[in-house]
Amino acid sequence: MSAIPAAMAANEAPWKLPSRGRVGMLSLIIAESAIFTIFVAAYILYIGKSISGPTPRQILSVPIFITVCLLSSSLTMHWAVAALRKGKTGSFALFWFATLALGAIFLIGTGREWHHLISQEDFTIQTNLFGTTYYSLVGLHASHVLVGLIALAIVMILALLGKVKCEHWERCEVLSLYWHFVDAVWVVVFTVVYGLGR
Amino acid sequence: MAIPKSSRGVVSEWLFTADHKKIGLMYIVYSLLFLVIMGIEAILMRIQLAHPHASFMSPQAFNRLFTLHGTTGVFFVAMPILFGFGNYLVPLMIGARDMAFPRLNAFSFWMTAFGGFVLYASFFAGGSFLQGGSAPDVGWFAYAPLTSTTYSPGHSTDYWTLSILLAGVGSVGGAVNFIATILCMRCPGMTLGRMPLLAWMNLVMGGLVLVTISPLTAAQIMLMVDRYMSGHFFDTAAGGSVVMWMHFFWIFGHPEVYVLIIPCFAFVSEIVPVFSRKAMFGYPAMVAASVGIGFVSLGVWAHHMYTVGMPSYGNAFFVLTTMIVGVPTGIKIFNWLATMWGGKIRFATPMLFCTGFLFQFLIAGLTGIMLATAPFDWQLSNSYFVVAHFHYVIVGGILFTIFAAFYYWFPKMTGRMLNETLGKWHFWIMVIGFHLTFDFMHIPGLLGMPRRVYTYEPGRGWETWNLLSSIGVVFQAAAVLIFVYNMIQSYFKGAPAGNDPWDAWTLEWATTSPPPDYNFAAIPEVRSRRPLWDIKHPEDPDWKYE
Amino acid sequence: MTAQHQSNPAMHSAPEHVALPAPTAWPAVLALGLTLMAAGLLSTNIVSVVGIALSLVAGVGWARQVLPHDRHEMVAVSAAPVQIATPHRKVTRMAAVQAAPHRARLPLEIYPISAGIKGGLAGGVAMAVLAMFYGIVSHGSIWYPINLLGAIVYEHIDVSTAQVEAFHIELLLVATVLHLATSVLVGLLYGAILPMLARRPILLGGVFAPLVWTGFLHSILDIVDPILNQRIDWWWFLASQIGFGIVAGLVVVRQVRIPTWQYPLAARAGVETPGMMDEENNHS
Repeated sequence: MSAIPAAMAANEAPWKLPSRGRVGMLSLIIAESAIFTIFVAAYILYIGKSISGPTPRQILSVPIFITVCLLSSSLTMHWAVAALRKGKTGSFALFWFATLALGAIFLIGTGREWHHLISQEDFTIQTNLFGTTYYSLVGLHASHVLVGLIALAIVMILALLGKVKCEHWERCEVLSLYWHFVDAVWVVVFTVVYGLGR
Repeated sequence: MAIPKSSRGVVSEWLFTADHKKIGLMYIVYSLLFLVIMGIEAILMRIQLAHPHASFMSPQAFNRLFTLHGTTGVFFVAMPILFGFGNYLVPLMIGARDMAFPRLNAFSFWMTAFGGFVLYASFFAGGSFLQGGSAPDVGWFAYAPLTSTTYSPGHSTDYWTLSILLAGVGSVGGAVNFIATILCMRCPGMTLGRMPLLAWMNLVMGGLVLVTISPLTAAQIMLMVDRYMSGHFFDTAAGGSVVMWMHFFWIFGHPEVYVLIIPCFAFVSEIVPVFSRKAMFGYPAMVAASVGIGFVSLGVWAHHMYTVGMPSYGNAFFVLTTMIVGVPTGIKIFNWLATMWGGKIRFATPMLFCTGFLFQFLIAGLTGIMLATAPFDWQLSNSYFVVAHFHYVIVGGILFTIFAAFYYWFPKMTGRMLNETLGKWHFWIMVIGFHLTFDFMHIPGLLGMPRRVYTYEPGRGWETWNLLSSIGVVFQAAAVLIFVYNMIQSYFKGAPAGNDPWDAWTLEWATTSPPPDYNFAAIPEVRSRRPLWDIKHPEDPDWKYE
Repeated sequence: MTAQHQSNPAMHSAPEHVALPAPTAWPAVLALGLTLMAAGLLSTNIVSVVGIALSLVAGVGWARQVLPHDRHEMVAVSAAPVQIATPHRKVTRMAAVQAAPHRARLPLEIYPISAGIKGGLAGGVAMAVLAMFYGIVSHGSIWYPINLLGAIVYEHIDVSTAQVEAFHIELLLVATVLHLATSVLVGLLYGAILPMLARRPILLGGVFAPLVWTGFLHSILDIVDPILNQRIDWWWFLASQIGFGIVAGLVVVRQVRIPTWQYPLAARAGVETPGMMDEENNHS
């Protein structure tokens, strides 16, 4: 009997399965997308429904610079993982740091925008329906950027300690999936908040 | 970092375990505890409703009981018990040693568990315990603006929101784990086309959890923003919309029914072939129907909202999609019947419960089609007819198959058989109780009795039916008591099960009962959908025909 | 059936130790921390602070469990081979007994589907002839029964006898379609039922069944369609029904029979069944 499996193994292709890290992260991304979908839907359906001012056009300015920063961080992230895959830990650390820095600039930019809105325009989450949806949607995205930055920082520290090696490229790639997702969500949020809603 | 296994205390053996079987059992025991709690809540409500003008409890206590009964049933009984069985069975059935992310698995369990504890902590906060403390009282779907701080001051609604948020994190973690396990941990030869249907349906369930629990999480975050930060999402005075909450809740709420029923379909799909002694009829159709239900169920939510008012094309769309869900469901029922057809059926207790399920789920589906028809629903929305319908699904469908799963897999989990005689008593008393309660509950609904009323006037023709419903609960409670007694008695004194007591065909029966920590000494290799058939019938294995 | 005493052959050779994830408290502690963070919203902020602290500690602890490598424990594998055994096996395969079926499945022979269709068509012709003969005898017009049949699909309006006796092309078409369809369907039914009638199939199928059918129609037609009922001569109706039955039956029984499958689906599908083995001694 034990000969049968061996005979079969010759007929069939070698047994390969998808990586659990990648599948797990993609599943998480699907779940996160569903959350964002609901927030984006609420934002779109509530456009122009506020009973009192201010309106988006009066107070929002388009954050071009930080958007460029965040989107280009996807590119540096890609290069970082590609470098690690080839075993170039030095350029990995460099690109990884660039990603971290660009992400941090984005987060600081969002923080400055909020600070301006709250202290100068006296516009908070309680002001009107627009305020509620705006701070919730942008805040939800910013919190995802923050989580991503913390994860990036941990890997950065490990890389500086010299503990990130070529064999870890797959784990880093899983993390990069999350980062690309956060960037893609910003494209949607940006279009909805600063394009459609303004 | 290899640490040799040493003898451990019960705390690190169980509470800190990362083993999928122990986590599965913790899920199951946890949800049985909550099953008893929600059962007691149901009994209390039925006592109050047995007679008109009863004063067994205050209206406030009644509101709290039905809120907790519903919330507990969905989030802390049905979901965890199905996650528990899935956790226990999926790795065994696909020939893996553990789930893909064992620690995430433990985390998911504890999030779910703490969620339930937070919900019930509300009993002990503020107010008297017998009046429900400050337990939530907004109903299980908590329509806005009832949940606003104006109408729901204090923290009662926050307990509800936070417990569901916490449990939601656990559910999503569990779903991610199921998907990764099923896609990435299969043993050699276990292609997607050879996977047991239980694994397939848990995969679909996992996918549905990802896209249904998350909208609920989003809606709960919005509610938190409204309540804690004075936001305006559901505040009509600021231009917000309460209908938005309904949409968001039911975008979760209806697919959730399928999150619960699809793993139950999985139990039936494993049990019916074994007790009919025939391979599952229409395996590919079964897989396709499960995936189809998953997708279509995402587009039916507003059939809960016909009475809210929609444009006629909205009504027509949701009537149509809801009817379409009936098609793959019908395919499944026909496949189970075709599996039984011509087979040599053995009516052991698991099969009895599955047979009961087939009848009851059919009726539940038919009343579902009735309610999916907008004009009919305009008449009966929010009546006891609806309550009877979804209890037909949840008790007659889900609970019956969960009982079947207990009788079928208890031997594998403990190494001992459940007592068959007690099992048959359990089944028949449960059937009598179920039909007494829920068959007759349709009638006051048709006669106009609204749900969620704490009492009612005599002389409307509702008294007899309500009394009969309440009497049925006595039978159901007795059946559950028999079941609990059977489990305790059999755990200690049941007949030894052996490794394969049912002469079954899937991999979980290819290891010892209970399985060792590592599941399989050597990872099995499969060549057909029924690997154990191949081993038992080397002269005529299935793989010859694949 | 020796399979139940066999160890699983489709396994790779077993290792001596298996690496399994070690038990860890950190996931549970992290869950507790997050719960306390939430509970702070229900009570006081201090609870949330404790929750945040606990979550941070647990997060670090968890990270140290999996970074840079997952922490494992080695579990010794039991050397004893696993028997895939059913203690009281109650079933065996029916395939083994296909050579000698233990019970005949009735009927042993059936008519092919074409027999029913042929019988139905022949019976239909006989019935039509009888009905038109009745039309000539009683009203001097072969269209009378045809119009009555065709008029079933129309709203009930009272018409004169002269109108019913006249020729109407659309009624002729409707009546022809109805008559052919019904004749074929009833013929199929006859083909299926006749082999099951043990004796005198022609008497039962050709006389008895039309009698019952006519009686049934006679008792309800006054309620269903009183206008039509007034125009029907029940003896002639019965005669044409019997004519159909006898002719259809005679045609059907003249067709060649085909033997039925003596093995049930279960046997053909290799299904297992109890009652075919010595269950006491647990082998077949």
